[in-house]
Amino acid sequence: MGLLSRIATFFGRSDDDALSVPPMDGVFKPNTLLDSAEIVLQLAGIDNLAAADAMIYCSSGTVLHRIDPRRGSAAVVKSFDAPITAIATSPSGQIAIAIEKLGIELLSPQGAGRLINLATTYAACVTAIVFRDEDTIVFTVGSQQHAMSDWKRDLMSRGATGLVASLTLSTGKTEILSDKLAFPYGLANGPGGTIAVSESWRHRILPLRSPGQQPATALLADLPAYPARLASASDGGHWLALFAPRRQLTELVLVEDDYRLEMMATIPPEDWIGPDFGTGGSEEQPLQSGSVRQMGIMKPWAPSRSYGMVVRLDRDMTPIASYHSRADGRMHGIASVVELDGALYAASTGAGTLLRLDPASEALS
Amino acid sequence: MNNSNALTRLRYKYFSGRLVGEILSKSWIDSAIPVLALLVTVALMASAIPDLFSIGYMTDLSRQLAEFGLVALALTIVIMSGGIDLSVGSMFALCVLAALVGMNVLGLPIGVALAMTLATGLVCGLLNGVLIGYLRLRAFITTLVTLVIYRAIYDIIFPRLASAIVGNTPESPLWDFLGFGEFYGFPLSFIIFAIIAIAIHITLSRLRPGWRLRAVGGARKSAYNAGINVKATVCMAYVTSGLLTSIAAFLFSARLGSTGADTGIGMEISVLTAVVLGGISLGGGRGSVGSAIIGAILVLILTNGLIRLSTPGSVNQLLLGLILIIAVLFDAQWVKNRGKILSKVYVSPTYLELPERVRPKSDPFALNERLREVELIGLGDVEGPEDVVLDRNDNLYTGTRHGTIVRFLAPDYAKSEIFARIGGHPLGLAFAENGDLLTCVGGMGVYKVSPDGTVARVTDETNRSWLSVIDDSRLRLPDDLDIAPDGRIFFSEATIRYEMADWVVDALEGRGNGRLICHDPSTGKTRTLLRGLIFPNGITICRDGQSLLFAETWACRISRYWFDGPNKGKHGVVVSNLPGYPDNINRGSNGTYWIALLGLRTRTFDLAMRKPAFRRRMARRIAADEWLFPNVNRGCVVQISESGEILDVLWDLAGENHPSITSTCENKGYLYLGGVSNNRIGRIRLPDADPDWTARGDYWRKD
Repeated sequence: MGLLSRIATFFGRSDDDALSVPPMDGVFKPNTLLDSAEIVLQLAGIDNLAAADAMIYCSSGTVLHRIDPRRGSAAVVKSFDAPITAIATSPSGQIAIAIEKLGIELLSPQGAGRLINLATTYAACVTAIVFRDEDTIVFTVGSQQHAMSDWKRDLMSRGATGLVASLTLSTGKTEILSDKLAFPYGLANGPGGTIAVSESWRHRILPLRSPGQQPATALLADLPAYPARLASASDGGHWLALFAPRRQLTELVLVEDDYRLEMMATIPPEDWIGPDFGTGGSEEQPLQSGSVRQMGIMKPWAPSRSYGMVVRLDRDMTPIASYHSRADGRMHGIASVVELDGALYAASTGAGTLLRLDPASEALS
Repeated sequence: MNNSNALTRLRYKYFSGRLVGEILSKSWIDSAIPVLALLVTVALMASAIPDLFSIGYMTDLSRQLAEFGLVALALTIVIMSGGIDLSVGSMFALCVLAALVGMNVLGLPIGVALAMTLATGLVCGLLNGVLIGYLRLRAFITTLVTLVIYRAIYDIIFPRLASAIVGNTPESPLWDFLGFGEFYGFPLSFIIFAIIAIAIHITLSRLRPGWRLRAVGGARKSAYNAGINVKATVCMAYVTSGLLTSIAAFLFSARLGSTGADTGIGMEISVLTAVVLGGISLGGGRGSVGSAIIGAILVLILTNGLIRLSTPGSVNQLLLGLILIIAVLFDAQWVKNRGKILSKVYVSPTYLELPERVRPKSDPFALNERLREVELIGLGDVEGPEDVVLDRNDNLYTGTRHGTIVRFLAPDYAKSEIFARIGGHPLGLAFAENGDLLTCVGGMGVYKVSPDGTVARVTDETNRSWLSVIDDSRLRLPDDLDIAPDGRIFFSEATIRYEMADWVVDALEGRGNGRLICHDPSTGKTRTLLRGLIFPNGITICRDGQSLLFAETWACRISRYWFDGPNKGKHGVVVSNLPGYPDNINRGSNGTYWIALLGLRTRTFDLAMRKPAFRRRMARRIAADEWLFPNVNRGCVVQISESGEILDVLWDLAGENHPSITSTCENKGYLYLGGVSNNRIGRIRLPDADPDWTARGDYWRKD
C-alpha cells in the first residue's frame, strides 16, 4: 500500500470507497452488435448454454432444453423441481446440470440421469461447471449464504463466501480449490491445466493455479460490468459474458450501510438499486436521472440497470473485442455464451432470446 | 427506528445546512473574510497599543483614509475592468504638485487650482486609458512605464519649484477648511470621500456604466459580444482612476500644504495590498467599494500601528509585501474553489417521509394500457410542451423549450405555426376571459399574449421575505397558473432555490422551497400567499370561485386553498399519498378535475427521501446523471372529484409515447396530454365525457 492510499484510508477514503466505475472505452467501446445480431429463437429466461454434439443445451427456469441451432427449434429434455443454475458438457457427451438446492444431475449421452448430492451450502448456488476429464468436474459456488436466485442479496450483503471446488464423479468426493471469493460466476479451462474464474462482485478474472494455492494477481481486473460465465473459444482464447453494468449509484449504495440495510430489510429485491438482467418488470423499479426519456428517446449512454455485453479474450485473458447492447437496446443480461461450429451463441436472459454472432465479424478491433 | 426518524426530521428541519450554501452563493461573501481579518487586526492592535481609539487618532485616521481610500477606489475600478494601474503613486505625486503650484506658487483661486489638479489627473489617466483601451497595450507594462514617466516629470519639476512651494502660503480659508476643517466632528475630507464612495458604489452596483465595467472585467469577449464598447469602457476606467487620484492629491495637499521628493513612492504597493486584501479579485470583474474601503482601513491601521510600535519603515514594507503575497494567493484559491465548494454544499436535502402505499385488491391505480391508443399531434415539431390549452376555435396552444408558443390549427392539428416568441420556456398556460393567453415562463415570470400575438410582461417579482438569505423577490421558476373569476392570477413557483434547468435537483432536496403567489391586475401588485410548499406545481381554480386546488409534486399530494369567502386563508389536503408525483391540475367535464402524474414513486426513492444524509452524499460524490430519481418513464393521468375521490386512472405503462405527463386538457370529449421532456402532444378520446364540454365554457359560461 502506497503512502497516498494509506493517507486516504486514514481519512476514510480507501480504494474500496472510490465510486468511480471504469469507462467503457478502448476495446470496450460500445456498439450495437448484440442488437443487430441474428435471433435464433425466443425462450423465456434462457441461460446456461453448453454445446454437445452440434446441439446446444440450455435452461429455461426449471427446464432443460436442447436447441438445434440450424433449425432454430428447441425441445424439452427434462424438467426438474428447482431452477437450473449451471450446465456443462463433456467431450464424450455427458451433461452435468446443477439444480438449485438439490445438487448436480449427471446425464449420460444415452439419457440416463444420476443425482449427485452436494452439501446444502454448496448446492444452493452452483454458478458454473467445467469438466476437467470424464470423471472430474470443477464447479463454482457463488455464495454459501444465498441461493442463486437470491444473487442480488448476496451482492448487496457484500458477500464473499464463494468458492471453487472439484468433484470426482465416481466417488462423489469434493475438494475445495479456492474460497472467500465474491461470487465466482464463471469457469474456464486454460492452457496447461490452469483454471480461470470470474469473480463477479469484484469485477475480475482470477487464475486458479493448483489446488490449495491462493489466487495470485488477477488475469483481468477493473471490468466495467459484472462478469458471468466464461466459455472457451476455438482459437484457444475465451469468451466472457458480462451480465449487468456497474453503476456509480450501485457502488455508492454498497458503501452506504444505513441505506443499504434498510433497503434490504424493507423492499423486495426486484425493486432494489443495483444491477439486473433486464429492464421492465415491476413499476417500482428505481431510475437514475440520466435514464429519463428525453424527447421520446432513451439515450444509449443512459445509466440503465441492465446491459448486454460479451467480450472476446485472447489466450492471456487480454480483451480483444466486445459486443454490446446499450441502454436503448434489448439484448440485456447475457450470462452465458458458447461457440459452436464457428458461430458464437449468446443467451440474453433479459430478453429471453438466443443470438447468433459471427466471431470473425467487425467487432475484432 | 421511529425515534431516530423523528430525530432526523428535527435535525433537518432546523440544521439542514441549507444556509451554508445560500450564504456562499451571495456576492457579499467575497468581503466576509476581509471583514474578519479587519476585526482581528483591530483587536490585535488594540491590545498592543493602549490608546488606539482616541478621538485624535480616529480623526487623523479618517483624514488619511479619505486620501488613501480614494486612490484605493481608483485602483479598484481599474482592477474590476480587468486591468491594473501601477502609476497611481506617480500620478498622485504629479497631482499634488499641480495643486500646490496652483495654490502656493501661482496663488490661483481654489476652484481654478482644483480644475488644474483634476486636469492633471485626467490627462495622466487618459494617456493610460488610450494606450491600454484603444491601442490594446498590456496594462501591467504600460502603467509600469507611465509610473516611471510621471515620476520623472515630477522629479524634473519639483526641485525647481520646491522653495516657491514652501515659501508661499495661500490665503484661502476654504483651502484650510479642506485641510483641517471638521463638520459635526467629521473631517471635511472624510465627508467628501464618503460622498464619492457612495456615488461610486451606486454606479458600480446599480447603474449601467458599472455593470458594463464589471462585464468587461469578468469576460471581455462576452462583453464585446453583448454589444458593450469594450475599448471605451476600459479607457474610462483609467480616466476615472486618474480623476479619483487627483481628488485624493488635492485633499492631501490641503492637509499638508507641502510635498516632498518621496510623495507617492511605494503608494501603488500599499494601495494594491489594500485592494487585494479587501477582496477585489485581480482577475477582474469581482469587487465592490465596500471591499476596497475595508482593505484600505486594514492597511492603514496596520501601517499606523506598526509605526506607533516603532517598527522600522523597511520592516513595514516587508510586512506589507508579505501580506500582499498571501492575499493574492488566497484570492487565487478563493476564486478557483468557491464555485466548487458551492456546488458541493448548495444541494441540501431534507427529511421527507411519505406514508407507505398499501395496495388494496381494488386499487384504483391498478395498471392499464389505456393511453396506448393515443393519437399523436406535432410529433417532432414541439419540444417540451409542458402545458396544453385550447382556445374558443379549438386551436391547440403549447409552449416549447425554444421559447415559443406554438399553435396547432383545428380540426386536425396537422398544421402548426409559431403564435408568439417569449424567450423562455413557457410552462403553465391559461386563457383569460378576454382571450388573452397567460403563461408562466421558466426563469422569467408571468407573461401575457394577446390574441394578435403581442407579448407583455404581467409580473416577474413578488414581495421579498425578510428572513430569506437568497433573494426571493425575483420569480425563478413560476410553474402553473389559473385565473379567478375576478381576474386575479394565482400561480405557483415551484422552487426559489433552483433555476429552470436544475428543477430536478429540487427533487433531491425534498424541502418546501416553493410558494403560491397571487397577482392582482387591478392594483398591479404581486403577493406571496403561501410559502414552504414542496414543489407546488399545478393550480386550478375550483368551481366555487373562492378556492383553488394545487399540487405539491414531491409530497405527492393535492391541497385546496381558499382565497376568498368564509374560509379565506385556510388550506387543507384533498388527496394525499398518491402513487406518483402530481404535476398540472385542470378542470374536466362533469365537475371533475384531471391530474397529470409526472412519474411514479418507487420504494427506493421514498426510502432515500427519509435519508437526507444519503442523498447529500449522493449529490456530492456521484455525477448528476447517475443520481437516483423517481421513475418518470411512465405516464399516468388521474381524474378526481372535487372532494378528492379517485374516479378514473389512465396509464402509459411502457412510456413509449407519454412518459412523464405534465399536463392535461379536456376539450369536447378529448383529453390532450403534454410533457415537459417530450416531443409530442397526445390526444385520446374519452368515451364517457360530455362531447360539448370546454374549459372556456366551464370557466366563463360563454361560447
